[in-house]
Amino acid sequence: MKRTQYLLKRLGWSVFTIAFVLVLNFFLFRVLPGDPARAGVHDPRLKQEAVEAIRVRFGLDKPVINCFESLNPVRFGSCDVNPLETQFFIYVRNLFKGDLGISYHTNRPVAEILAERLWNTILLIGLGQILSIFLGVALGIFAAWKARTAIDYGALLTSLLAWSLPTFWLGIILLFWGSAHGLPIAGKATPGTSSWPLMQQWGDVLRHMLMPTLTYTIVYLGEYTLIMRSSLLDVLAEDYILTAKAKGLNTFQILKDHALKNAMLPLVTVIAINLGFTVAGVLQIEAVFSWPGLGGAIYESVLRRDYPILQGAFLLIAVAVILANLIADLTYSYLDPRVQSE
Amino acid sequence: MTVAEETSPASPRTPSPLLTFWRTFKRNRMALVGLGMLALIVLLAVFAPQVAPYDVTRAVDVTIGDIYQPPSGTHWLGTDDAGKDVLSNFFFGARVSLIVGFFAAFISVVIGGVMGIVAGFYGGRVENILMRFTDIMLVIPDLPLMVVIVALTKPNLINIIFVIGLLGWTTTARIVRSQTLAVKSRKFVLRARAIGAGNGHIILHHILPLVMPLLVVNAILVISLAILNESALSFIGLGDPTALSWGQMLNYAFGRGAMSAGAGWALVVPGLGIVWVVLSLTLLGHGLEQVLNPRLDTHHLMPGRPAVQGEAGAPAVGPEGAPVMLDVQNVSIHYFSDGKSPARAIENVSFRLRAGELMGLVGESGCGKTTLMLALLRLLPAAGQIVNGRVLFGGRDLTALGEAELADVRWKGVSIIFQGAMNALNPVRTVGDQIAEAILCHDPSYRSRRAGRDPRLDRRVAELLDLVGIAKDRKECFPHQYSGGMRQRAMIAMALACNPQVVIADEPTTALDVMIQAQVLELLDNLRRRLGLSIIFVTHDLGVVAEMCDSVLVMYGGVTAEYADVDTIYNSPRHPYTRELLKAFPDLSHPEKRLASIPGYPPRLDSLPPGCRFAPRCPQAFERCRAEQPVLHELNGGHFITCHLIETDRKRRSKDRQTLSF
Repeated sequence: MKRTQYLLKRLGWSVFTIAFVLVLNFFLFRVLPGDPARAGVHDPRLKQEAVEAIRVRFGLDKPVINCFESLNPVRFGSCDVNPLETQFFIYVRNLFKGDLGISYHTNRPVAEILAERLWNTILLIGLGQILSIFLGVALGIFAAWKARTAIDYGALLTSLLAWSLPTFWLGIILLFWGSAHGLPIAGKATPGTSSWPLMQQWGDVLRHMLMPTLTYTIVYLGEYTLIMRSSLLDVLAEDYILTAKAKGLNTFQILKDHALKNAMLPLVTVIAINLGFTVAGVLQIEAVFSWPGLGGAIYESVLRRDYPILQGAFLLIAVAVILANLIADLTYSYLDPRVQSE
Repeated sequence: MTVAEETSPASPRTPSPLLTFWRTFKRNRMALVGLGMLALIVLLAVFAPQVAPYDVTRAVDVTIGDIYQPPSGTHWLGTDDAGKDVLSNFFFGARVSLIVGFFAAFISVVIGGVMGIVAGFYGGRVENILMRFTDIMLVIPDLPLMVVIVALTKPNLINIIFVIGLLGWTTTARIVRSQTLAVKSRKFVLRARAIGAGNGHIILHHILPLVMPLLVVNAILVISLAILNESALSFIGLGDPTALSWGQMLNYAFGRGAMSAGAGWALVVPGLGIVWVVLSLTLLGHGLEQVLNPRLDTHHLMPGRPAVQGEAGAPAVGPEGAPVMLDVQNVSIHYFSDGKSPARAIENVSFRLRAGELMGLVGESGCGKTTLMLALLRLLPAAGQIVNGRVLFGGRDLTALGEAELADVRWKGVSIIFQGAMNALNPVRTVGDQIAEAILCHDPSYRSRRAGRDPRLDRRVAELLDLVGIAKDRKECFPHQYSGGMRQRAMIAMALACNPQVVIADEPTTALDVMIQAQVLELLDNLRRRLGLSIIFVTHDLGVVAEMCDSVLVMYGGVTAEYADVDTIYNSPRHPYTRELLKAFPDLSHPEKRLASIPGYPPRLDSLPPGCRFAPRCPQAFERCRAEQPVLHELNGGHFITCHLIETDRKRRSKDRQTLSF
């Protein structure tokens, strides 16, 4: 049916986008200068054996992709390279095995490090998203309902201000303020608490999460308020709201039964599109609060020039955002009956 | 000058678009504040060497004691981790942040603009490929990608500008493309193409000027995003170490112990700079958008203005003997808007609807028919106010009822079949559900104690749909799954759901094809006879009125032109407007007669003529018509007319009579 077709199309599109990201990721780290392995190779102080050892270790002795390096269209495909032995193929094969390489700094597999960190990021994003969406939607509804009143202008200005705050700076201010009020300044848990009872451990984690989550909520609250407000204003001006009013429904019934669902629909898409920005915010928040998540990992690996982690984290985040977009698309098609027949 | 240029929006007849723009812009406080804030910080950045108390670009000896000094007379905002003056750093940092923001945004806007225009203008394959690519770039998270690229290349200012610029164009491309698509099919663009203008010429002279306003608003947003991105990159440690932007200041302060030294000033000040610039851009962008695309922010839930009750005293026509259902007396409605005198949309309209009567409400578009009908149930938009009159229904004055009592009358006493049923039905709820909702709202006996659906309710909905000829299994369908005629019939079923005494049919057949129109009309007439409804039928179609209605109210420019029973209106119309309207419709008994349209349009409410509202178009207008507003006259037998001609006729007649008596 049409719906299945739509779903398959979206799915195919996501797979294509992921493939694009994989290729982009591969070439970014090979075309751009600065790869330490390459830098090492070019270091005149190294002995020839050491250079070879580095090249072998990072697979740089193999051709990048077929005769790509020669960039000679005539020789392309006719050269004597086994496609299974190229760097690109090995990269893809390793990805499918879940092998993202070895961290320069800790010598542990990148996948293992990122897997530990992923959950912390999801925890932070999850809590922050729920809070900011919930509050933003509520504030947006209230502002739109009371359009052109002091409440509306207040909500509008507050949202614009919240939108204008640099995430990391708000984090710094809250960290500064929180630490003056006895809140922990870094990490996810106080060291040495692993022997505490479970409830106390969770309480400790919650105390650590308070300021990062607050930062997150404030920064994204403004955006969700603005979107909800303008979306609801559009819906409330529609003819079917007038019909509902003429039918004798009261304001509450009209909002609940006729306006909210229609106004929330665009929000689903916006939340998905915003996930990219959200990730940017989380990266900054984790850097400020030394939160052991993916953002924190990126921050640390930038300082240490730990490229495999950087590469792996980028890939993981990009794929997660693409999948979240796919989920949002599918949710939208369930919520809006019109999608199925288009 | 080409034809196309003559008709392009910048034609010299209208005041310069820039001037008009500036007039609206001036009134937008948000945009003005934003512009002022931005101008201030740009000036400070430009004149940084002059205003900064210290030259931070010069190397000076610092001692440990200079580091993180609190604000004092010598250092107004204290010193930073290198012992430098924070205030001076702030001014010089503004330069870096603004330069990165403006240049990166410039790159983004140029790329996005070109991609959007090319995709929108050429369409087809080109559009497909470009937009697919845009979609891909849109889902890839910006900042992590920027981090990766900047970390791999050298973090200097040029690289940062290019990386931010090259990744920030996606929203611009999408917005510009859809605007180009909208503009492309405008008349003057098509005309330019028809006279052989080249693509480049069309894009440059016709499309770009129309895309420009949107592009400017978007560019402002892109600048603010670029500034935020630059500060985030700097903070993460990927800024240009030689250019001290605000982000870089924060990076150094945060990374070099400002927190533990308690040096809040070094952390707060640069951040405030970023907030200041981004907020100014946001305000400016938001305000500009309001100026360029004025959405009135009005909606149906805004509390309306309280109705003012006024004088009674009303005419009466229609089938004698039947009880009066709806008695509308001297209703006047004004629309209020800021800084303008109120628009007199409806003035002194009265009519009386009896049980079982079908009244036609006729007039051109913009004559206030819908306004009057919405006012009966107090459904006017927030700007509209009933400034005089009464609406008596079942012994109650609807203009004086509270919201709760009014909700009770709505639909159960008086219901409305709205015009253009597509938008009148909620697209995300099934038709049956929307009909059931009306029943549930007014008849508590249907509210079953169980959570599940009441079978009686289902039966009632099926019965209603059956009444208008829709199969009952279609009740689970959504409005978009219905045809136009079916939607209109479903709307009728919904209007009948609570057994109302009066039904207002507001142009129920507009936008339907002729066959369906006939079906809907027949249905309405049928239902009236079967259910004994009183119906007000709002329409342009005089033929339908002649066939079905008992009485006719002809409105022009918000006043009653003529009101009488249907025979009088058709056989002896007295108002020139009624006559002109009748001339504009085919008459089967005189098929050889030519149809005549009335030149001109109904008056705009904000520029009503001083005299009779119809005078500018009236073939029989004389001096008095242009100077003095006529009043409503009653002729014999409930024939009402607002026209000076009646008085002259009467005078002549009485003169005739006088001469006769002699």
